Amino acid sequence: MKVDSGKKGLVINLLSLIGLVVLWHLLVILARENIFNIPFIRLRDVPTPVETWYALIGSLFTKTYGPALTVGILEHTQASLLRVIEGGIIAFIIGVPLGIGIGYSKPIGNVLNPIIEIVRNMPPMAWIPLAVFILVAGGSIFIVFIGTVFPIILNTIHGVKSTDLRLIDAAKTLGASGSQMITKVIIPSAFPSIIAGLRIGLGVGWMAIVAAEMVIRSPIGLGYFIWNMGELGRYPEMVAGMIVIGVIGYIMNISILLLQKRFVKWVD
Amino acid sequence: MKNSLKILLVVILAILAAGCIGGNKTPQSVSEPINLVKMSGQDMVQRLGTGEIAGFIMWEPYPAIAMTNGYGKPLLYSGQIWKGHPCCVVAYDYNWYKNTTNADEILKRMALVQLKSVEYINNAKETRSPDHEDLIKYTMEFGGMTDPKAANLSLSDVEFVYAPNIADAQTFITRIQDFGIFDSEKWNQSGYKNASDYANALINKSYSDWASQNKNANLTSVALKTPVTIRYAYLVNDIHELPFYVGWKKGWFKDAGINITLSDGTPFQNGAFEMQKGFKSGVVDIGSLGIPPVIIHRINSNDFTIDDTRVEVVAGMNNEGSVIVVGKNITSMKDLSGKTVGYPGPGTIQHVLFLMEADKEGLKVRY
Amino acid sequence: MGRLILKDISKKFNDFLALENVNFEVEDGEFVCLLGPSGCGKTTILRLAAGLDSPTDGEIFLDGKKIAGTNKECGFVFQEYALFPWRTAKGNIEFGPQVKGCSKEECERISRHYIDLVGLRGFEDHFPHELSGGMKQRVGIARAYANKPKLLLMDEPFGALDAQTRNIMQAELLRIWEKEHISVLFVTHSVDEAVYLADRVVVMSARPGTVKEIFGINLPRPRIRTSPEANALRDAILRSLGSEIKRAASI
Ligand SMILES: Nc1ncnc2c1ncn2[C@@H]1O[C@H](COP(=O)(O)OP(=O)(O)OP(=O)(O)O)[C@@H](O)[C@H]1O
Ligand SMILES: [Mg+2]
Repeated sequence: MKVDSGKKGLVINLLSLIGLVVLWHLLVILARENIFNIPFIRLRDVPTPVETWYALIGSLFTKTYGPALTVGILEHTQASLLRVIEGGIIAFIIGVPLGIGIGYSKPIGNVLNPIIEIVRNMPPMAWIPLAVFILVAGGSIFIVFIGTVFPIILNTIHGVKSTDLRLIDAAKTLGASGSQMITKVIIPSAFPSIIAGLRIGLGVGWMAIVAAEMVIRSPIGLGYFIWNMGELGRYPEMVAGMIVIGVIGYIMNISILLLQKRFVKWVD
Repeated sequence: MKNSLKILLVVILAILAAGCIGGNKTPQSVSEPINLVKMSGQDMVQRLGTGEIAGFIMWEPYPAIAMTNGYGKPLLYSGQIWKGHPCCVVAYDYNWYKNTTNADEILKRMALVQLKSVEYINNAKETRSPDHEDLIKYTMEFGGMTDPKAANLSLSDVEFVYAPNIADAQTFITRIQDFGIFDSEKWNQSGYKNASDYANALINKSYSDWASQNKNANLTSVALKTPVTIRYAYLVNDIHELPFYVGWKKGWFKDAGINITLSDGTPFQNGAFEMQKGFKSGVVDIGSLGIPPVIIHRINSNDFTIDDTRVEVVAGMNNEGSVIVVGKNITSMKDLSGKTVGYPGPGTIQHVLFLMEADKEGLKVRY
Repeated sequence: MGRLILKDISKKFNDFLALENVNFEVEDGEFVCLLGPSGCGKTTILRLAAGLDSPTDGEIFLDGKKIAGTNKECGFVFQEYALFPWRTAKGNIEFGPQVKGCSKEECERISRHYIDLVGLRGFEDHFPHELSGGMKQRVGIARAYANKPKLLLMDEPFGALDAQTRNIMQAELLRIWEKEHISVLFVTHSVDEAVYLADRVVVMSARPGTVKEIFGINLPRPRIRTSPEANALRDAILRSLGSEIKRAASI
């Protein structure tokens, strides 16, 4: 029964995706045949799913045309992923201790909370000009860091604050010192929350990296790729890049969920 | 559960690995590729000054500004890459043409004003010329310069012309094809047999021919009987397009019965933008831009049944006039390998010229 | 060892007087049950004894030492188990020895001993959410014992268990207590449980909480729950408690 309904769900999932592709195809074809067009959208410029598929296959690998290296989507993806991972690691290293400090100690919280409350409301995109004009290097990684660090901090604070007081009492009576309380009770208890923060943060970081790469130009990265292809009028490649961005974001999210399920066994 | 996790990990690793393999598949020349990075002309000058980029290739006046500021020195003038290469041209939008009854007459007058402006500039370039001071004033205004020295320098390597050149356009088409900037699938769909066929379809010499036959005619005597309004587009601070500015400021278009209004989006960041946000969106009737964007966007077009990216070239603007400017410690193209070089964007003439030079030197360029 | 003295204890939460003038003792090795209407301050007394909270007035001594700050010589068994959910049964039991800096082998040895003692062999590597209520409380007890406390403070440890399991756990607790011989202060709502377990029963009155009456239970163990002596004691305690519960409800 359960297996059956699971399969049914999967079939519906697939059908919905197929439906989207068919609708997409129809809209483009109808626009190209001058039968129907949505106002303000040049739908005829949108590549069909088939054109997009061929563009994706054709641009997966880096190709050489004489002196020109046309960097493939895989290499762009790798570069963007690497930036997100680097920015994410820095955000994790800085965000988790900060979150623990703020969540655990009132004075630290009083000092840092107002700063965090203001700064976290500046979206990562708002930092792009600063990264472009003031930072000399690592602008994209910095933008990922900004996007990732606040969800990590906030979720860590939440995790620390929602630590069961009875567990703290239990640890106290069992003789835990202040630092042992942090390492042996607070951190493990906040761990699922910290991982959730990492997951949300990396999601934001992934969106931020694509935006950053459009502005902070290094000749490699998915955001750069889709913008470049758009500028050259190569819309099938552009849309293929967009789809890759979506799929990678989805895979990242699912991977962390699965990792969490695997390593945080105590939460059912 | 465990399996799906494994599959995910494998997928991620595969992407990372495939990226590496893909990268390695490119024949690793001895040297690292040069990285072309898009930026505005002002950015190029500033970043060359701070040493963030090793050099840039750009239209005048930015090279002249960088040089007079002492930020960089010329590595190569574009005339050294390709002697007398065509650069900016005047082109009209095909949809405008179809919907305008006396379009041919308008285009003839446009070409004539272009001719007169080019002749004026070529005479006034001489320091002894009585018009020289005016020309420098126009150059500084249009190029956004404050230093007359830079203005003089920026004019020195630009050759202003009014006639378009079909043979050279054909060369450009071939090179752009070689460099993989065209969508290779699209060439067959576009209906052009080869580069020569496409170049002939793209350039119409009849207007500039008419202009040279009437070069001594007074503009008012050949003026359109009923004045028309043209939405014109040009590139930001591009000294190559100075003939337009001179003709406009001197009132010569008006004399010929053509009222100029600037189109939405003018001045454009580069030719690729002018093609897409100008001609394709139907906000530009006539505009000046580099010839490669004109060539590229028709072929990369998604739907050849419509004419949204179809433009035709009616006059030249200039030849040469771009410079590869480099900072300290760079004395050759080879020195640039592994470094970052600014350029105005993919599919611009500077992009194509840079690739041509890299090709000669056997260097690789990532863009 | 393990003599607890509460002397003139009062506890105020803000303006609310929870305990007033509480005086009683737990003798060395004695099993004392604390009975009283809900809200009379039983948990508060345990927390004060553990040093998790400090009294507003009065003093508490364990083996003559005044309690100030967390009392690391007592083990606390909580009503809702309060096990570390990220640690296995074994991991929970080893928590105390670990924070004390015992070697890995030492921790292993201690946890093996107490796992056997509470009868959890085979469940060492289960996480709390994989254990039944009775098993969880066994882990809780083992965890408290593993810290070698002088005094065990137990807050309604079997409250959430079904009657069957509860009876078994009571017998088990006595078995362990006799073996390890430490003092126990045990809070319960069940007169039956108190009569079965305790050497003495302290009945409290409510609002503010204070000691109302103390009953000594000098029956030999193992006790028979339905013996006439047990029945008589149960009746006496119930009467004392019942009037208190009525009074508490009427306030
Ligand atoms: N931290 C606190 N702040 C304010 N009031 C408290 C606090 N802890 C306990 N109280 C109050 O003190 C009184 C005694 O509480 P306590 O938990 O000790 O009762 P109890 O006898 O254990 O009750 P129960 O049998 O229901 O567990 C209650 O009225 C409670 O509301
Ligand atoms: Mg209680």
